[in-house]
Amino acid sequence: MERTILIIEDEKLIIVSTQMVLEAAGFHVESATSGEEGIQKARSSAPDLILLDIMMPGIDGWETLNRLKRDTATAEIPVIIFTAREHSRGHQKSSEMGAAEYFRKPFEPDELIELVEKHVSQRG
Amino acid sequence: MGATAELFAGSRDHAGGDERGDRAIMDGIVLSDASGRVVLINATAEALLGIKAFQALGKQMAALGGHSELQLALAIGIQGLVDDDQPHVQVVELHHSQRDLMFVRVATSIVLDHASHPSGHMAVIQDVTEVHKSDELKNRYLSIVAHELRTPLTGIKTFSTLMAKGRLGPLTDRQREVAESIREQSLRLEHQIDKLVNLGQIDKAEYGRDRETFPVADFAATLLGPFEQAARDRSIQLGMVVEVEGGLLLHADRTDLRRACQALVENAIKFTGEGGSVEVSIRRNADGSVRLGVRDTGIGIDSRYHRRIFEKFFQVEDPLTRHHGGAGLGLFVAQGIVRSHGSSIQVSSKLGAGADFSFTLPLAAPAAGGAGERPD
Repeated sequence: MERTILIIEDEKLIIVSTQMVLEAAGFHVESATSGEEGIQKARSSAPDLILLDIMMPGIDGWETLNRLKRDTATAEIPVIIFTAREHSRGHQKSSEMGAAEYFRKPFEPDELIELVEKHVSQRG
Repeated sequence: MGATAELFAGSRDHAGGDERGDRAIMDGIVLSDASGRVVLINATAEALLGIKAFQALGKQMAALGGHSELQLALAIGIQGLVDDDQPHVQVVELHHSQRDLMFVRVATSIVLDHASHPSGHMAVIQDVTEVHKSDELKNRYLSIVAHELRTPLTGIKTFSTLMAKGRLGPLTDRQREVAESIREQSLRLEHQIDKLVNLGQIDKAEYGRDRETFPVADFAATLLGPFEQAARDRSIQLGMVVEVEGGLLLHADRTDLRRACQALVENAIKFTGEGGSVEVSIRRNADGSVRLGVRDTGIGIDSRYHRRIFEKFFQVEDPLTRHHGGAGLGLFVAQGIVRSHGSSIQVSSKLGAGADFSFTLPLAAPAAGGAGERPD
């Protein structure tokens, strides 16, 4: 069965390029350009993994992560934070908030695929 | 000591009050003797610590009472000095009764007597709240700029990498060369942006804060990317030797560690002539720890500079090397990062005979989920 990744990211360029990487690796990709839209889509399409940006207008990535984890409908979906900003203690913070990984942009496409594969398959 | 005490006693009239209100205009100073007892404390220090001189004199500097966050910093400062003759610097957040949140810089150093024997400690306490606030603003701005630069760069890196690897369809040799070149340029840009952001954080000296556990091999894999072009341009052989079993893990601030290693590589390339070589090695020591080293066949460093090259802004004043440019910060930052991980960069080098920079880190135990092979 095809695995679905949901990208929550306000920059269309990043969505397009990341989608290309994921589709080349055999994933089906959906996207949302805001935290609020992302949460809705996570609830309705139950993706196998979420790639979440931090800097977004409206609610930011941390708040989006918070809400995803508090909602039983979406809490079990693994979330990989990927961000172009410096965040002090980013790894610690994201792991405390329940994210599966904290990943920096720009990234190596192969590393992204490795991380996604690792966490999608752990769901069993 | 008597004359010094008088000098500081005189400051009692000036410190603690000026037209602008309660801003102290002198640094706080606390001096202790060889047995650790306070022998001098000036008015500013009294105010910042919330303790009077008569209460402090004779007590251990590490156990003064008064403002507890600052008192703890004094104790940490003394402990942090164990085998170093550089001052131990901390920036401490204080909740002072008469002010809102304050930031205070505590620099602890060993005092030497006329025969250069340790005769006590000195702690210099400075109110750096204003500077800290403007630093915070600057760093936030830099972080935003970094984000704006990294976003399009992500697109460039991703697309060019996909193209170069043939994932978007077969390419002619020429097309592949071009795609690979675009990718390499994006790696160089990425490196420059990291350096820019890093510059903004230099004075914070808060390295190594964002720790994670990761495989050593993964760390090594992308270290040299930003430098391959520069090395090729000057026919410098750039190589990596990893003699550590796959799956072995490090627990460290990966981004900072990468910065430190890349600073060493950048320096090695800078000071190596045409046709030379730079080798990065990751090996296990006899005790099981990991040794990361960068060796070059460049112009080498005279032994009298072996300590100074790690100082902020220091550059060897040698007519032969003067034209190399740079800000003199790479090794300072690299050492700061490695120190924050409990280690220290060692240099082995002779003028004219290359250089070998190295440091050692302990291996991390595998995570409970069994991420890697066992070390034995």
